[in-house]
Amino acid sequence: MTVAGTARAHAARILRIARWETFRTASVVDRRTAIVGLVALLLAGGVAGATATTGGVAIDRGIYRVGVAADSPYHAPVADSTALAAHPPDRTAFERGRLDVLVRDGEIHARDTRKGQAALGAFRDAVQRHNARLMSQEENRSAAFPVTVTLLYTTQNRAIVDGGTDGGGGGSGGSSGGASGAGGDASGTTPAGDGSMAVPDVGGTGLFATRTTGSPADISPPFPFASLVLAFAFFVPMNFVIQPYGSTILNERINRRGELLLVTPASPSDIVAGKTLPYFGLLVAVTALIAAAIGGGVVSVGAVVPLAALFLAATFVGAMFARSFKELTFVTVTVSVFLTTYAFVPAIFSNVTPIALISPLTLVVRDLQGTGVTAAQYAFSTGPIYLSAAVLFLLGVGVYREEDMFTQRPVPLKFLDALDSRISGPWSMALLSALSIPFVFVAELLAIALFFVLPVSVSVPPLLFVVAAVEEVAKSLPVYAGFEKERFPRLPRTALVLGGLSGLGFFLGEKLTAVVQLVGLPELALGRAAFAPAGVGPTAAVALLLAPLALHAGTTSISALGASRGRNWYAGALVVATGVHAAYNFAVVTALG
Amino acid sequence: MIAVENLRKTYGDFPAVAGSTFAVDRGEIFGVVGPNGAGKTTTLKMLAGLVEPTAGTARVAGYDAGDPEMRRTLGFLPEESPLYEDMTPRSYLRFFADLYDVPREVADERTERTLNRLELDHRERRLGDMSKGMKRKVAIARSLINDPDVLVYDEPASGLDPLTTNYVIEFTRELSDRGKTVVFSAHNLYHVESVCDRVVIMNRGEIIARGTVAEIREEYGDVEYRVYTTVPVAGSEPDGDRYVTAVDDVDAVESIRESAVADGGDVIDIRTQEPSLEEIFLDLAGGTDERGSAT
Repeated sequence: MTVAGTARAHAARILRIARWETFRTASVVDRRTAIVGLVALLLAGGVAGATATTGGVAIDRGIYRVGVAADSPYHAPVADSTALAAHPPDRTAFERGRLDVLVRDGEIHARDTRKGQAALGAFRDAVQRHNARLMSQEENRSAAFPVTVTLLYTTQNRAIVDGGTDGGGGGSGGSSGGASGAGGDASGTTPAGDGSMAVPDVGGTGLFATRTTGSPADISPPFPFASLVLAFAFFVPMNFVIQPYGSTILNERINRRGELLLVTPASPSDIVAGKTLPYFGLLVAVTALIAAAIGGGVVSVGAVVPLAALFLAATFVGAMFARSFKELTFVTVTVSVFLTTYAFVPAIFSNVTPIALISPLTLVVRDLQGTGVTAAQYAFSTGPIYLSAAVLFLLGVGVYREEDMFTQRPVPLKFLDALDSRISGPWSMALLSALSIPFVFVAELLAIALFFVLPVSVSVPPLLFVVAAVEEVAKSLPVYAGFEKERFPRLPRTALVLGGLSGLGFFLGEKLTAVVQLVGLPELALGRAAFAPAGVGPTAAVALLLAPLALHAGTTSISALGASRGRNWYAGALVVATGVHAAYNFAVVTALG
Repeated sequence: MIAVENLRKTYGDFPAVAGSTFAVDRGEIFGVVGPNGAGKTTTLKMLAGLVEPTAGTARVAGYDAGDPEMRRTLGFLPEESPLYEDMTPRSYLRFFADLYDVPREVADERTERTLNRLELDHRERRLGDMSKGMKRKVAIARSLINDPDVLVYDEPASGLDPLTTNYVIEFTRELSDRGKTVVFSAHNLYHVESVCDRVVIMNRGEIIARGTVAEIREEYGDVEYRVYTTVPVAGSEPDGDRYVTAVDDVDAVESIRESAVADGGDVIDIRTQEPSLEEIFLDLAGGTDERGSAT
């Protein structure tokens, strides 16, 4: 059979298994459950869409009653506000407490109660937003916004050397230019004794409005609410879908049910692909629906799809390792929490720093804001996710065979089995080490994101240690698995060879992280600390090129020597290797300033 | 049809199968017997391509057992075959027919024919609602959905009631008559003895006896002579109004006759009794126990 013919046969089998998986899952779920599930999925999309288009969930809808005439200039701001409800300006009603605020005869009155004062505050905000909208529609921009302030966000310990202001004072002094007292009443209404009411607001009110102009008094650091809503909108359906997916995989392992599939012409990868396809397709469809609901485009879908793939991949591996549905529940919760954290935490900084590009959700935010996403940014943000998903599926398929999938072993031993399934000789060490790069990258990026809030002087030392530990574990685990599974003789010479090959593979894979150069992450102090430094001379560059190779080969050989002597020796050697690696990292960072 | 050469499977230092060699001809029913942990199931799984041999080769219908194409020629029935309980027999069999690339019309025709022959009428009932015997019949039907040349059945009658068991054994014989090559293992040696053309007896991963049942009986079994006399002789036991003495040496029969005549009696009957396969098996594997490993 030709290659094309073989590929067609595999594709046909995958589609058949996918069709039967859909049929089986659909036949298990009764109509009522299906409706509930569908409603839940649509709800997630609907809530996101509604939230995006209305500017937030209005839990305070109409709680303040404002007496204002329909022909009053204040009627429009009241009508636009979700918190305010317009009523006829009846003084008697006001005095009897049926109105909180009364606008009458050019004066604004608020009841002398806490609610009355709160209502007055909401009324002021509504007028400000209304005025801002009017001002933003003004063709004469300089008349509408006489002062322009450019904001520059910097790391905490970096001195502000360039003010970046235009018409204002220093970077932070721009606020003086157009402060709250600037007072013109854009709508021409009578001032109420508080000039701030006439000051235009920053601009849009929607979650994703681009707040590029407005009063300096209203400018505040970007609020991550948009990311939060996005995270929930996209992640809720994923959590629904991975439950039946994990169950269907584990079901094949319970009572050896899946054994019969293994004696058919379908290969393990056909079976896994076929069983995964319906769930992946569902997630893509739901993601597209949600993206459409919140006004996203292809970029939004393209950003979330790798996350969906990683959710499924991690769940698949978890279901292949779990011994029971109880363990599977633990796995799916862990997957959900970790991946949600990974996507959410960096997205908080969407408008502040390139570090936010670690999370694909940042791409969604940019897409919704119309900022645009470059191919390099997309690759940086989603590359590790795609690769991680691929490697996880690869590991899981490795143990999708009779000898592994029906045995009841603890999860760590199952993980070693999965690694062992991909070992065919000493060079497998290099390959497995290189394949660990996406996970190392993800772990290091997450560490950067978590340490990001700390001052650099505090965050860099522990970060260097964490980076060293992550890399040493990643490099040495394949060697440990090889020795534990009796793939290699437990000899020092063998350990040195395997350690050297693993270090070489990791070194080559690590060079792939050069993609970070494309999006400017190394410009951050933490980025420089975690990844290869840039901007050094040729001699130093060669040294810096070869030194990591020597480091990786050397430290992995230390761990490998320990692994060849058993578990406890491996643990001890791993600590030593991590220490050496961390010291090297620290020396390099210190030398490079 | 099947050629096994020095087949070996070890788990760590544990030899589940320690170098088996045998061959099975087309249309033959070949039995693999032995105590738990003898290596029967591992051997059958290596034939089915489910377990990778540590050493040696297994060829089935001209293919290496690890070749995916071999699976098209093979029908495998594991000892326990949990089905997808939410499916019906018809949908379950269609699913597997799809995986074997069997056209829908052909699959439906085979399904009807096999289920009719197995007298399974509940085609649209959930498998989860069926009895164990009915499920086993569906599993057998599944093993035939691709019309394989070779059938590998691991304890096909395990856990079934006597009626269904006999039915399955008879059906196995029928498959052989249709030209199928059948390899099966069983704990119930009566079934093996009654249906198998040839047998290997395994113990501790090794084949300890092989041949037709008659050959094994001749080589490993001792014929017992039961001598009936009118008077008691040394070692005899009463049996109604006569006495019976069991000996395993034809010369001893003459001694008994002489003793009986000396006491005023005579020999009234001599019967020979051949050992069952089970007795031979117990004799060969006597003193062994289960090895505690899922082999």
